[in-house]
Amino acid sequence: MKFRIFPREFRDKCFTASCMFSVCLMVFILVVVLFPMMARGLKAVFFQGTNEFREMQLVVFGHGDAERIQRENGEIEEARAFVYEAANRFRRGIDTEHLADEVRGAYRDYGSYLRAAGISGERYSAQRARAKDLRDALLDAFESRDKEYVQSRLQCVLQSRADPDFGGTPIEAYFETAESYSRIAASVDLSRREQYAEAFGEVREALHKLFGPGPGEPAPALTMDQYGATRWDAVERELHRLLWSEDWVETEPGRPMVKETRARREFFAGTELEPVFDYVETNLEKLFQPRFTFYWRYFMDGSTDGHYFGGCGPEILGTLALTFFSMLFAIPLGIISAAFLVECTGDNIAVRVIRTCINTLAGVPSIVFGLFGMAFFVLFLFPVIGEFGHGTLGIFSAEAADKLTKPNILAASLTLGLLVLPVIIRASEEAIRAVPINYKEAALALGAGQFRSFMTVILPAAAPGIFTGIILSLSRAAGETAPILFTGAIAFGPVPDSILEPTRALSYGSYDIAVGDRLAMLVPHKQYGMVMTLVALVLTLNIIAIWIRSRSSRKLRGL
Amino acid sequence: MHSSRPQEAAGFNRPLLLSPGQDLRGYVFDRLGRSFLFFITFLSVVAVLLIFFFIIREASGFLAGPYVKQFFSSTHWYPESREHPEYGVLAILGGSAYVTLVAMLVAVPVGLFSAVWLSDVASFRVRQIIKPVIEILAAIPSVAFGFFAVLVLAPWMQTRFGFDTGTNILNAGVILAVMALPTIISVAEDSMSAVGMEIREAAYGLGSTRAEAMIRVVIPAAHSGIIAAVILGVMRAVGETMVVWMASGNATQIPSPWWDLSKSVRTMTATIAGDMGETVQGSVHYQALFSIGILLLVFTFGLNLISEHLLARVRRKKEA
Amino acid sequence: MTEYQSQELSLDGADASFLRRPARAVENAARDTTAESGEAGSVIRSKDFTLFYGKTIGVKDITMDIYARTVTAIIGPSGCGKSTFLRSINRMNDLIPNIRTEGFLTVNGQNVYDKRVNLVNLRQQVGMVFQKPNPFAKSIYDNVAYGPRLQGVHSRSELDSIVEECLHSAFLWDEVKDDLRKSALALSGGQQQRLCIARALATQPRALLMDEPCSALDPIATARIEELIAQLRNRYTIVIVTHNMQQAARVSEHTAFFCLGELIEYDLTSRFFTNPSNKQTEDYITGRFG
Ligand SMILES: Nc1ncnc2c1ncn2[C@@H]1O[C@H](COP(=O)(O)OP(=O)(O)O)[C@@H](O)[C@H]1O
Ligand SMILES: [Mg+2]
Repeated sequence: MKFRIFPREFRDKCFTASCMFSVCLMVFILVVVLFPMMARGLKAVFFQGTNEFREMQLVVFGHGDAERIQRENGEIEEARAFVYEAANRFRRGIDTEHLADEVRGAYRDYGSYLRAAGISGERYSAQRARAKDLRDALLDAFESRDKEYVQSRLQCVLQSRADPDFGGTPIEAYFETAESYSRIAASVDLSRREQYAEAFGEVREALHKLFGPGPGEPAPALTMDQYGATRWDAVERELHRLLWSEDWVETEPGRPMVKETRARREFFAGTELEPVFDYVETNLEKLFQPRFTFYWRYFMDGSTDGHYFGGCGPEILGTLALTFFSMLFAIPLGIISAAFLVECTGDNIAVRVIRTCINTLAGVPSIVFGLFGMAFFVLFLFPVIGEFGHGTLGIFSAEAADKLTKPNILAASLTLGLLVLPVIIRASEEAIRAVPINYKEAALALGAGQFRSFMTVILPAAAPGIFTGIILSLSRAAGETAPILFTGAIAFGPVPDSILEPTRALSYGSYDIAVGDRLAMLVPHKQYGMVMTLVALVLTLNIIAIWIRSRSSRKLRGL
Repeated sequence: MHSSRPQEAAGFNRPLLLSPGQDLRGYVFDRLGRSFLFFITFLSVVAVLLIFFFIIREASGFLAGPYVKQFFSSTHWYPESREHPEYGVLAILGGSAYVTLVAMLVAVPVGLFSAVWLSDVASFRVRQIIKPVIEILAAIPSVAFGFFAVLVLAPWMQTRFGFDTGTNILNAGVILAVMALPTIISVAEDSMSAVGMEIREAAYGLGSTRAEAMIRVVIPAAHSGIIAAVILGVMRAVGETMVVWMASGNATQIPSPWWDLSKSVRTMTATIAGDMGETVQGSVHYQALFSIGILLLVFTFGLNLISEHLLARVRRKKEA
Repeated sequence: MTEYQSQELSLDGADASFLRRPARAVENAARDTTAESGEAGSVIRSKDFTLFYGKTIGVKDITMDIYARTVTAIIGPSGCGKSTFLRSINRMNDLIPNIRTEGFLTVNGQNVYDKRVNLVNLRQQVGMVFQKPNPFAKSIYDNVAYGPRLQGVHSRSELDSIVEECLHSAFLWDEVKDDLRKSALALSGGQQQRLCIARALATQPRALLMDEPCSALDPIATARIEELIAQLRNRYTIVIVTHNMQQAARVSEHTAFFCLGELIEYDLTSRFFTNPSNKQTEDYITGRFG
């Protein structure tokens, strides 16, 4: 007996456990999907902003306290000066091309100096020849990798130091150069100069990423290159790139390459650059003055190319516009249809056909709505209207008629409106049917006509339900992408100034920023920020709807 | 007029009978109002007709053209090829079928178990908490799911399972399953609740455990609603665009071996979404995309009619 | 304002003989004919009136006259068609799909199931109070002013006076005069029912149909409503459905007894309760009903 009951109970337990598991799985999925998106998205709004961020905001978007930023920049420039000087000195030692150019320049300058001083003829030639000797000696020194030869050539130059002919002339700079180069040549392994030059290039790149263009450098063409690390996480990332070099090396032939991380400090040991790494690492706060930033303008600012800087203001605006106009179309139609279906008809063939069509409309895939919106509104109806309004009636300008033939907000809104129409009809119908019949009886018994009783009694009582349905369809319209793909959404473009222009939208923007835009891959917080904004918008609307419904149902139960 | 109420109260001072001629305004208002409301409501029908008409109109050139046979018999989709454009839709249909199948394999059991839990196991309070969770799951925009699929799930799959690509059948299928879950749960739960308490009590009264009562009695009784739930889930999965476009990899191929879910495929919706931007209006490629639209439309329309029929049965049961 | 002449409908054999007319009614009729045309003061007449809900019968072959400015009570066991009959008079049954009627039901001499009937005018003049108080979710003031507003009264002062007058008539004024703006749903059940009566009075009905107005109320509220009916009896034609035989005896002049959709007995209240002519009626009023 027991033996037979046991498997039954066990099966029952398993069944219940599976049910539990399924529901838990669903909740878990919801958390897994929502949590990383929201958490990472919030980083677009809440973060440690550096002075670079504040300066970028000031210059690109015109927000912020200019005076304060100036003061900060003064302090920061001071702090950064050490880095730039050290880098400069190092460059002078390593980058002999550069030094050679300087030396040649000084030689040319000396020529014009002599002419300006009125020296000519024999004397001019003689002095120039001596300067030329010095120059060649220096160039030889730069060229050579042999330490002793270098030192001897430099010594040659330095011997002329006392020569009064060169005092106060451009040639005087030669002695400085020779001295510093002799110091460098003594400390640095000259044979590694190429390696140094290459590594130094990487360091400079890292510095550029950290600090933006250095003093005296021309401003880069792209906005994204004009500023250093604007956020503390970027600072840390770039700092790592500054401090550590990563190379793929082959340990054994035939095996996969291995990543090798080496400290640059050791690589540059003994050079002018060595102290820079410690300095940057220890003075990071001073170099960036990071502050906790609540970037609420994220929801208003436009964005630079690739969403690198800025926010998603145009996308939000576009989504709001699309949603608003689609609702303008769908709400009246939806409520009127629902009223008709509840109040004016019983159950006949016409109503059944209408219901079937509403259900069909609800089941049409959203991409088909997109196709239809393009084929009907953009390619057929609007051009006809534009042609008629422009050519026949003359009430449209040629420009408006032209815009009507291209994807625009109006077409996208109408398509979205059609998409949410069945949602609104069903929700409103349900809400109207849920109004207790005795409300209607009371109104009719007082001599209200059908229209009056509907407007004064039934509609107000059904309003919370209808409103809930409207909010839900609003959130649906805000989140849909496929219907607006071909009817009015663009990834980049100006904020539209009429509804006859295409617009950016959060939904399409989320798609584009995730897979369409290569630059955006560099700024994951912007990617997540966009989708977070969309999800937050939609979920807020839904939570409001759920709240209204629970409140009104509690009210009904309390009656 | 009200001041004289007591005196007049006995007599009827308003006509009870009014012919249309006597009450012209009321009559006209009533007629016009009704016609207006009917007209507005009828717009839904007009919209459906317009959708069918315009999709078919744009596709008509292709369907009447020389490529139709190839369309239904070839797996090669090379519409932009200069010399030999090919418009075979089979691989694309296969892609849709693959992701939908995977989605249903995941979503149907999970959805049905959840529906059982909501209708028969959970207490009222817990249900009040779980229901909004389902609604929120249903409300998340599809592009957000696609975003999750591409930026979170795909890299994870690639590193965790060592797939060649993270955007594949499995990825798209799993996400579609999540998206179809709310529909399946709510419709299935409705139909299970529509099976009255008496039937359950009868089953328990005969000594059944919950599993037996549900599997032998309630679920069979609710089968039409459950089938409708699955159909609606399939419609959601087949018609979904953004997720499959972003997560399925968009490679026009039938995976080989056939069970390899780590291969990329391309679905009907993704083909339309991805290709439409590159076509010239009126070209064969453009018309071919509209032809795919017709396939989608006909498919969902058919499923819709079936589900509506099944749900009408559930409703009748509820009222009885 | 025009007095609309009641066009007499030719009812087959529509003479006084089809029911035993109570003596008191004859007196009433004598009084009424001075003011009105119409058949001997009967405001509502029904002749072989039958109503079907789809295939089931709601009421069958009801033939009775209801007289002006009297209170007529309808009693009977549950489900016997009292409400059905009452709601037929101002066509509230129209809300139910698939109803069908036979025979005649006239108000002021006009067949209410005529195609040309203007429902607004009918219901405005034949008001109704329901079993369950059903005030709108509006303020007390707006509830009472609802009817007058429908009739086009919008001036503030006029509405004020109507509201006050009707609330006085319904004995509610003293209880609510300080917070007319309060939601009607905040009132007690008895107050709500009196508010519904006030609301019905505000539309200036000629007849008032009450469907078990006291069944949801406690004895004190019931007493107040009965008092109210007594006050209104001289001004309105009142038809009241009640379960409570004492109540019928207290408030009405005529009483009708329905059973299984049929009218069993209709007589002066005094005679009805003391000397019923029908065995079934006797069983019912003595509580021996099976
Ligand atoms: N809406 C309806 N549809 C079908 N039958 C109804 C409806 N309303 C009432 N009935 C039936 O009509 C009969 C009379 O009901 P009713 O007039 O409400 O009785 P009561 O005397 O208790 O007020 C009952 O048998 C009832 O079942
Ligand atoms: Mg009743």
